[in-house]
Amino acid sequence: MDLTYTSEQQALRDSLSRYLDRTYTFDQRQELLRSDRPWSGDAWKHFTELGLTALPFDEEAGGIGGTMADIVAVGEILGEYLCVEPYVSCVVLAGQALRAATGSDPASRLLEAVIGGEAQVAFAHEEGAGTPAAAHVALTAREGAGGHRLTGRKELVLGAAQASAIVVTARLDGAARDPEGLALLLVDASAPGISFREYRTIDGRAAASVDLQDVPAQLLAQDATEVIEEIIANGIIALAAEAVGAMNALLRQTIEYAATRQQFGVPIGSFQVLAHRMANMKMAYLNARATLLHTTALAEAGTVSAVDTAVLKAQVARFGRTIFESAIQLHGGIGTTDELPIGHYAKRILAFEPMFGDPDFHLRAVGAAAGVPAR
Amino acid sequence: MNLDRDPALEAFRTEVAAFLDTAPTDAIREAGRRTTSAFAPFDQAMQWQRILNDKGWAAPGWPAEYGGTGWSLEQRYVFSEEYARRDLPPLLPNGLQMVGPLIIDKGTDEQKKRYLPGILSGADYWTQGYSEPGSGSDLASLRCSAVRDGDDYVINGSKIWTTLAHRANRMFMLVRTSTDGPKQAGITFLLLDRVDYPGMQIRPIVNLAGEEEQCEVFFEDVRVPASGRVGEENDGWAISKHLLTYERGASVTAPRMRRHLEQIRAAARTVPSPYGGNLADDPVFQRDLGEVAADVISFECVEKLIHSGHPMAKDPATPSMNKVLGSEITQRLTVLRTRVAGVGAVPRQLEAIEVGSGVEPLGSEFELTAMPWYLNSRATTIYAGTNEVQRDLVARTLGRR
Repeated sequence: MDLTYTSEQQALRDSLSRYLDRTYTFDQRQELLRSDRPWSGDAWKHFTELGLTALPFDEEAGGIGGTMADIVAVGEILGEYLCVEPYVSCVVLAGQALRAATGSDPASRLLEAVIGGEAQVAFAHEEGAGTPAAAHVALTAREGAGGHRLTGRKELVLGAAQASAIVVTARLDGAARDPEGLALLLVDASAPGISFREYRTIDGRAAASVDLQDVPAQLLAQDATEVIEEIIANGIIALAAEAVGAMNALLRQTIEYAATRQQFGVPIGSFQVLAHRMANMKMAYLNARATLLHTTALAEAGTVSAVDTAVLKAQVARFGRTIFESAIQLHGGIGTTDELPIGHYAKRILAFEPMFGDPDFHLRAVGAAAGVPAR
Repeated sequence: MNLDRDPALEAFRTEVAAFLDTAPTDAIREAGRRTTSAFAPFDQAMQWQRILNDKGWAAPGWPAEYGGTGWSLEQRYVFSEEYARRDLPPLLPNGLQMVGPLIIDKGTDEQKKRYLPGILSGADYWTQGYSEPGSGSDLASLRCSAVRDGDDYVINGSKIWTTLAHRANRMFMLVRTSTDGPKQAGITFLLLDRVDYPGMQIRPIVNLAGEEEQCEVFFEDVRVPASGRVGEENDGWAISKHLLTYERGASVTAPRMRRHLEQIRAAARTVPSPYGGNLADDPVFQRDLGEVAADVISFECVEKLIHSGHPMAKDPATPSMNKVLGSEITQRLTVLRTRVAGVGAVPRQLEAIEVGSGVEPLGSEFELTAMPWYLNSRATTIYAGTNEVQRDLVARTLGRR
């Protein structure tokens, strides 16, 4: 059993960190967020040069045949630097959806452009309450004379307004909660009937609500329940990696602060209540990272179950909260300001919590399956 | 990263399952179902250890040259999973997980030859003489003294929380051999090859569940051979710290926790929810069970990370973190057990829980064991160094304190 990164993965992490150390310090990032740009084009270009946009795709598709472990190895670093580039949404979510559309010309051309870093594609799935399962999708796709048309609304679509195309989860048949009748469709971002309401997420990412009124769409895959579930599972793992990266930074920075910040004539870390709180933070990080690495290894071996992903989703959110709430408390007043990275790490983890289902949803699923056979 | 399925592992699972299906006696199986703590009913646990040892499977964690199995981590998990699935009694940890590995690492050749076979076979049961009235988690404050006299040490004082001392035939203990310098510097580690030396007296203590599991041991001018000393005189603190790394995290425990979850959920299916349907389908219960289940699975991930030698596991805080996480999850599992058992957990059924008593329990076996398990588990966050002390130790690894 091996849960360590390979030397290649470690080398990739090191070179990504070196680049971000130079160009993506907290102050540089804050400046980027204050500008009108949705993210750093230079960073995206560098990600492409490092091969990150080609990472999860087969060599036949122009990719480099990486695995979930590669995505996680990179994701932890993106989380540590609070990157706002749409890596998970464009490469992991939309990219995997495009890959699922075998034999579809526009999809494979688009995938090539994603791999080459030339195109941004968004993934529109969320319809409220986290939309943790494919079956929850209600948005409808109707087949007419000229092809399919989409009507409905998608929320929290990361990178939507900057994308040239959007992959949409929709149903050809049935109603919400019906496990059948689901499909993946591709819409042009400038198609008639599509409108965006743009905003920034609390953790700095560009996102939008997307309203679709009778929008022409190209069918990528039907009977797509399993494909959508797999895309969601991979998205959860990739986002969890970013959150765990943020947790690592929070733990490190809080320990440093508690050792230097003096109150009552001594470092605050010498107070037992605070020391125990930091011990709990360290245990929370160990728990979250072990769960992430183990789930990743299962995904790589192709044996990850829905319960495994549900555990990861709930645990990273719960342990993440333990860590960031303690980090803010230990930093005192300054921890409640927007001036320190602490609160921004907190918001990265906080934004992860409701996406693809909140902890209560996933814990109920785990509880309903508890006593699952040992793997 | 690598977790590929291995066909050889599945063959191993079949071999383990076949043995565990046939080898235990009915009494051993009953003892497994009546286990309500880290310590299974004594007679059947020792009998079961003898059977396992005949097969060569009593000490999966030991080096192969000393009678261990030489199994991989994956094989150890398979063994633990099949073991837990059958509710077999866990082997008593003092010999196999604590003093045995210590003698392997730090004992003399003579001590290894003399003591390891009996530890492995279960012929000997070793009780642990560490704590004293007044010296619990602050172990270094212990006062029970040993004075060198010729080839012997003469011991005076007392020990407490000596698990199953009244059933033991051997004892490992810490004694004060010097009061000079720091308190840690005057402690010596001794192996006693009897517990019936003249001047030694053992008094069982009844616990909250009504069981006699713990004891107090009194020493009045007890002469024991100095050849039982492990390491140098006054070097016992380092020896015991080495042993603690086993006590706080050398075993594979997650499969047993998963078994708890299975049993809790199965029992919850038979319990009506006051809101209709059964408890297992109640959303609040599902969520609460899910929270503990998720923590069990995360703990399993931590355990595998530790045993697989991941860089994170080399942190000196790891044994303490493992102890805190494991004991607190165990307690929460026992809370869920009593919650599902409900009023069925309230009757005190000391006779019915006794293995082989033949006394019919009032309700199910689940109800019979729920409350003793809960009460017994209150000790898990106290023994082996309280969780508060463990958190101090974790915090100490964080940097300047």
